Amino acid sequence: MPVSKDVMIECIDVNKEYRRAGAIIRALVDINISIKSGDFVIIQGPTGCGKSTLLNVMSGLDLPDSGKIIFDGENIARSKEDRLAKIRRQKVGFVFQDFNLINTLTAIENVEAMLWPTVLRSKEIENRAIAALRDVNMLERKDHFPVEMSGGEKQRVALARAIVGKPRVVFGDEVSGNLDPQSEKEVMELLKQINQDYETTMIIVTHRDTVAKYGDTIIRMDNGRIK
Amino acid sequence: MALRLWRKAIKMMLREKKIFVIFTGIYTILIFLTSFFIETTLSAGGGFLSNYFIMIFFVTSLILSLLYAWLIVSRNRKIFATLKCIGWTNSNINSLVTGIIIFTTISGFILVIEGLFHYAAIMGYLKSTGGFDNYPLILISLAPVVLTFAMFLFVQLIAIILANRKVLKVRPVIALKRVGQ
Repeated sequence: MPVSKDVMIECIDVNKEYRRAGAIIRALVDINISIKSGDFVIIQGPTGCGKSTLLNVMSGLDLPDSGKIIFDGENIARSKEDRLAKIRRQKVGFVFQDFNLINTLTAIENVEAMLWPTVLRSKEIENRAIAALRDVNMLERKDHFPVEMSGGEKQRVALARAIVGKPRVVFGDEVSGNLDPQSEKEVMELLKQINQDYETTMIIVTHRDTVAKYGDTIIRMDNGRIK
Repeated sequence: MALRLWRKAIKMMLREKKIFVIFTGIYTILIFLTSFFIETTLSAGGGFLSNYFIMIFFVTSLILSLLYAWLIVSRNRKIFATLKCIGWTNSNINSLVTGIIIFTTISGFILVIEGLFHYAAIMGYLKSTGGFDNYPLILISLAPVVLTFAMFLFVQLIAIILANRKVLKVRPVIALKRVGQ
């Protein structure tokens, strides 16, 4: 099936089940969505509705049981792990609820870590990391370790790490889950700014209305289905 | 690229300190003792007891190396999962783990070389005081230390294989789990 250039991610008849304690949980049921390049998409729903599973399969972290995931023109639903890793390195950025920064690395090293396994020269990696930290207003804290930062600052460094590879898509899973309202506002405004400045597609999973309001498109989920 | 990852592995290990210091210390003692008993076997015939001790230290080093590899991967599961999320391949992470394991062993070896000079000086002093005339003076030459180091590197290869297999099992989705989940 030909895919329009404008479409960044397309899910076609995607299903995913889990088995827990003998019971089958249908996490995703016949999901069909199309996300355009440069969109700011919010996936919203209550806990256990399947929104994180949807994010996992769209980003190539997990594979669906059936259906297709067309990511930038390539069906990744049956791709090998190394191919998925390469796609993530070249085209994807991640922002996590728990920030997932490495405590033994400084802010700039955490951002650079994304590019260490590439053929880029060290100076180029450093320059890109500095630019990414500048974008999230964290350049003055570049030599600080995560333990010396607040939650909002950690999330901004994590955001710099997500964008340093100039990804086509940034995925965020409850990015403001561990943040106070002021930090949440700052982080979401930064995500919006990056979305507008670099036309990076943003796909953010949340259950909060305060986050959902930043989305151009809101996908609401319940019981593994899109409402 | 692998060299860069090894350099970063060393930096991360030196900053973590605790496990690195403990295992470097243990390796230093084991390399020293194994070298000592190999020297005893080579220079003075050694006998059954020396061979027995060499075997014990070799098996101990094997067990500890496997434990070290297991600890590195288990303690860093979430970090490795995060690195997989941001595009690191299994082989990239394996380079990092290999760098950590090899660096710890080399650090132990360097400390043994340093320690041997002090050991020789102490032995020389004790001999000169005349108080230890009834005991044989055993100085460790370089050959047993290099031989022990080679044995330890072989043991580390087994540990690296174990660590690599464990790294393969780390699923990137672990990175998305909340603390306590």
